[in-house]
Amino acid sequence: MKRSIKESLVSLSIITTLALTSQFTLADTPTWQDTLNQAKGQTVYFNAWGGADNINDYIQWAADRLEEDYDVTLKHVKLTDASDAVNRVLAEKTAGKNTNGSIDLIWLNGENFRAMKDNALLSGPFSQRLPNYRQYVDENARQSLTQDFGTPVDGMESPWGMAQVIFMHDTQTLPTPPKSIAELLTYAQANPGRITYPEPPQFLGSTFLKQALYELTEDTDLLSQPVDQVNFTTITAPLWEYLDTLHSVAWRNGQTFPSGSEEMIRLLDDQEIDVALSFDVSAASVQIDKGNLADSVRSYVFTQGTIGNTHFLAIPYNSSVKAGAQVVANFMLSPEAQIRKQHPTVWGDLSVLSYNRLSEAEKEQFNDIPRGIATLSIEELGQTLPEPHSSWVSALEKEWRRRYAQ
Amino acid sequence: MPLTYPRLITWCIALLLMVPIVVGLISTILPAFHYFPPLNEQQLSFAPWVELFSQGEFYASLKLTLITGIGAPIVSLWLAFSLLAWGYQRPFFRKIEALLSPILAIPHAAIAIGLLFLLSPSGWLIRLFSPWLTGFDRPPNWISVQDPYGLSLLLALTVKEMPYLLFVMLATMKSIKAQESLEVGQALGYSRLTLWRKVLIPQLYPLVRLPIFIVVAFSLTVVDLALVIGPNTPSTLAVTLLRWFNDPDFSMRFMASAGAVFLMLCVLLVIVGWELSHLLTRHLTRSGRSNGKRKGITDNLLRLGAGVGVLTLLSGFVALLLLPIWSLTRRWRFPDSLPSQWTWSNLDRAAPLLLELTTNTLVIALFSTLFACAVSLIMLETKRHSLASRHQTTNNHLFDWLIYVPILLPQVGFLFDLHVLLIYLNLNGDLSAIIALHFMYVLPYVYLTLKSPYLAFNEGYLQQANRLCYRPWRNYLHIKIAMLKPALLTAFAIGFSVSIAQYLPTLIAGEGRYSTLTTEAVAQAASGDRKQVGSMAMLQALFPILVFWFAQFIPSRWTRWRLAIQKWRI
Repeated sequence: MKRSIKESLVSLSIITTLALTSQFTLADTPTWQDTLNQAKGQTVYFNAWGGADNINDYIQWAADRLEEDYDVTLKHVKLTDASDAVNRVLAEKTAGKNTNGSIDLIWLNGENFRAMKDNALLSGPFSQRLPNYRQYVDENARQSLTQDFGTPVDGMESPWGMAQVIFMHDTQTLPTPPKSIAELLTYAQANPGRITYPEPPQFLGSTFLKQALYELTEDTDLLSQPVDQVNFTTITAPLWEYLDTLHSVAWRNGQTFPSGSEEMIRLLDDQEIDVALSFDVSAASVQIDKGNLADSVRSYVFTQGTIGNTHFLAIPYNSSVKAGAQVVANFMLSPEAQIRKQHPTVWGDLSVLSYNRLSEAEKEQFNDIPRGIATLSIEELGQTLPEPHSSWVSALEKEWRRRYAQ
Repeated sequence: MPLTYPRLITWCIALLLMVPIVVGLISTILPAFHYFPPLNEQQLSFAPWVELFSQGEFYASLKLTLITGIGAPIVSLWLAFSLLAWGYQRPFFRKIEALLSPILAIPHAAIAIGLLFLLSPSGWLIRLFSPWLTGFDRPPNWISVQDPYGLSLLLALTVKEMPYLLFVMLATMKSIKAQESLEVGQALGYSRLTLWRKVLIPQLYPLVRLPIFIVVAFSLTVVDLALVIGPNTPSTLAVTLLRWFNDPDFSMRFMASAGAVFLMLCVLLVIVGWELSHLLTRHLTRSGRSNGKRKGITDNLLRLGAGVGVLTLLSGFVALLLLPIWSLTRRWRFPDSLPSQWTWSNLDRAAPLLLELTTNTLVIALFSTLFACAVSLIMLETKRHSLASRHQTTNNHLFDWLIYVPILLPQVGFLFDLHVLLIYLNLNGDLSAIIALHFMYVLPYVYLTLKSPYLAFNEGYLQQANRLCYRPWRNYLHIKIAMLKPALLTAFAIGFSVSIAQYLPTLIAGEGRYSTLTTEAVAQAASGDRKQVGSMAMLQALFPILVFWFAQFIPSRWTRWRLAIQKWRI
């Protein structure tokens, strides 16, 4: 009797310990199934730029699918700029609202990510525990998956898609487009008023500056270093010299600049300019389809390659539905969602999944994606130039505004 | 209104308004002195100011802001006076009056996009004459919009502000007995325009002073209009500040806050300067006004103004008419003067969202405007009380100034801080928060529109009614409110359209969870797609236009309908 009590006590304590530890590990790293259970019935407020109909439609499609499969309600809060959302999280932190934040998921990259990460406005790390991330994303495939404009991602955001700068031209008015920064200037000199670029600090405008810098500066390796560790003035001198010349023969004499890719596309269609830029590789096909561009418009890239980057989804620190947000991020990484996203008339955004990790059937589906008449293939897109360190953006923008916006 | 404790009510409402305003004000000012705990900055310093004053872009933006912000009100005022002097009580002018409301109703961003399409080198004006007259197969490389001097911005501001001023002036015409003065003056041999210049405008100006100040403040701080049609190298100060506030580098916030405080001071200084120059002008023209001359060269200024005014109105209208065309367009390239392919798909795409957007928009506009009307009536009644008891003609209590603070402050910084307050109160993201914030922006316009007619009301009618049958509330509603119906409905219509046009307050208080036609339109304007903007702006303008139309249509028929219904009942 005595023994048995002792035995049972021991076994009890063992059981308790086990139960305790298992509970402990559960609380520490819940399994994906736990996250799925927790996410059921949650409403995720997804703050994402809402300026493009086709992207909004895609998000709505994802919302329907998430409702069906996971019982997660995805609400798209349409922003004009990701920084609106960053500001809102900051306002909430100011007011001490550390739970139940208004934003559960945010679409961002680069500077906005760095600002949020540096000011502890993000929750995580979470991306590496997403099943689809583990299965399909190869971190070594691209530097931009782990270095967002040079800021280490550290699992604080989950990749969503990849973008690369492309140029568009109307083959009717411009059969052989300029394929380098230098040729662009030559063309502008021969055809005054037909070349321009978006106004920095609009991100595409800043990207144009980086693109030009890559082609004009001698030692491109220096660009991957933080800007305060190199000689900014010497490195960027050729860039300003170039822009001085370009502006004198640019659209509206370099006195105003388009606000972004959308305005450039409009100007291209109005025939005010001859070359438009976009960060969206299928922009031309999508806009032709919508009747916003002539069907003689085609995309192209520079011979030496163009700047490319990855855009991400992140979860603010004060979201109350982090499980739901992770389920959304995971779904967005599924082959189903990524294949649909890459569809040129849906969105045309490049997949972040590693092709080799896909099943044969999924590979087949990727191969079957129609390209759209004005979309370049992966091979045609050629080499992707990496983003310089994120500190360059602000330095270039400041200097640009100092020189040209006063 | 038979109020029991007028003073107490005044103070309660004033206090209720004061809290958000003071909080917003203080927390705009503190970061300007480097105090912002969330970023761990609690050391007061002048560093943000030093930084601000070292920015070349600040001075360039400021110059532009002053040019457009002072130029536009002056031009608008000149054109509004001219049009009024030229057309007042002439039959065709009535038609122009009826056409003012669409321009008042349409949101700024939409009209800017319309004007941009009208005037740009690839715009409709040039398309109309190309290539058969101009020889342009492709748009010329002109700078006809977004010009570095801000002239196109000035025009856009004028297109939007001149109708507002004209509208306000028309509403106050009764109280200066214009008709009588004109008849007497003309019998004495004065020409029409001279009479206006010497007699009527000097009487009218003090009555429309506050609307003018609102216009001045608006021109100096406007963001959406300047974003679309203003120059961008540099932009106006308000746009530059917005960019600094939104910079991912949070340390820019301090400089931006300093800039916001500076802009606020600018608004105040410009208004003071405006008033001083008015005094000066009045002094200088005093002898001229009483010299007895029946005609003068300066009459031509009014004549010219009327011509320019008609042109300005016209360009506003054409810009408005172009938007619906865009919403039905599939292909419309330079130099076609009309679309080459038409489609319903732009509207189809907008359709599924419409129900939700429209409901939100209407609920917010309706409630905020109704509240604003109610509060304005109460405040005006207490004001009437204090005026009657002290036998003063001008007595502005605190409230009169307080309500203008929200429209005088640059929205960017002020609203960020209000948002923080809302979060503290746990009201963020709520429909009631949006309505409250809209209320703050609607109230000044409603109050202002209602003020002169309400105070000018001949209280004798009400007193007589009360003597005959003492039912103060019923008599107040059936006599005073009924007689003030046109003014009330006009005030409601203005408030309604102000609410509909609000972008930042909706976004910030609603945290983007409540979309309205305007937030959707501005989000799409970000893409610059004229087709989408066209369809959204059309819808956005639809309701205010309807309400304005009702405001003009109902009062004149109300009594007839009421009597008809009564007869039918009997």
